[in-house]
Amino acid sequence: MSHIKIDNNKCKSCYLCVDVCPKKLIKKSETIGKTGEYIAQFCDKNNECIACAQCAMVCPDIAITEVIKS
Amino acid sequence: MQTIFSTPKSIKENSTFTFCPGCDHGVAIKLVAQVIDELNLQEETIAVASSGCSVFLYDSLDVDCIESPHGRACAVATGIKRAHKAQGNNKFVFTYQGDGDFASIGLGESLHSALRGENITAICINNTNYGMTGGQLGPTTAMGQITTTSQSGRNKEYHGFPIKTAEHIALCEGSSFSARVALYDIKNIINAKKQIKKAFEYQQKGLGFSFVEILSSCPTNWKLSPKDSHKKIQEELSKIYPLGIFKDVENE
Repeated sequence: MSHIKIDNNKCKSCYLCVDVCPKKLIKKSETIGKTGEYIAQFCDKNNECIACAQCAMVCPDIAITEVIKS
Repeated sequence: MQTIFSTPKSIKENSTFTFCPGCDHGVAIKLVAQVIDELNLQEETIAVASSGCSVFLYDSLDVDCIESPHGRACAVATGIKRAHKAQGNNKFVFTYQGDGDFASIGLGESLHSALRGENITAICINNTNYGMTGGQLGPTTAMGQITTTSQSGRNKEYHGFPIKTAEHIALCEGSSFSARVALYDIKNIINAKKQIKKAFEYQQKGLGFSFVEILSSCPTNWKLSPKDSHKKIQEELSKIYPLGIFKDVENE
């Protein structure tokens, strides 16, 4: 089950990861982050993540701290 | 279980970037950290930070850093490199500067470092304005671009023309490598990392001044969303500032 880890303290809600995910698995959450905006959230109910790490490459704040493939 | 991506070792633990949301500075620092890790340079690197947003490099990058006066990063790097060389230490020295710092205030220092063929690497973040002080017109502001000090757009009669830094450095006989890259999509981010690595390797080989200009976004001062800022770079700025390698002494 491939997955990513998002550090909620680092996310600044720029949503670049939301646009770049080829499987559309990253969404706006309902949690408010440090900038006062809704932070990004990873939801992968059907194990669709392919661990391409594009979200981690594009994140300007290294808020996506890990991408694990399994 | 296989880790595809993890935070680079050269990034300080629990450090948070203080850049605006969506700013490409973070991506650029991440790429520099990844290249330092891959070349195993963390122990022998001295980074020279400048004034402007690029100064936050040493909040997050876990290498020895020194702050230089505005625009004088290449001159400070020259001193560090030469002093260590005289003592027999081979330190890896690079500067991390913005476009206002590299190409306006420090143009003399930067260009003459390239002309002397100093064995250092310079990374210049080109976001077409003075980001930290509120988005004033800089040396790389595009024609017609509206900033706080060019309210009706940059015009040639009053402001003159923008500078194309990478091409200028390529003309200097002492430079070994000069490239312009962008960070607006995955393909370009991968390419940017490749060029930064090449520039670092040229310094290790002692070939002379290596330079990478990174076209990067400034969503706050451009008054665009992070996504639209990348679109602007792709559609407008990369036409004005063409991407590519302008000088590469090993492939001539």
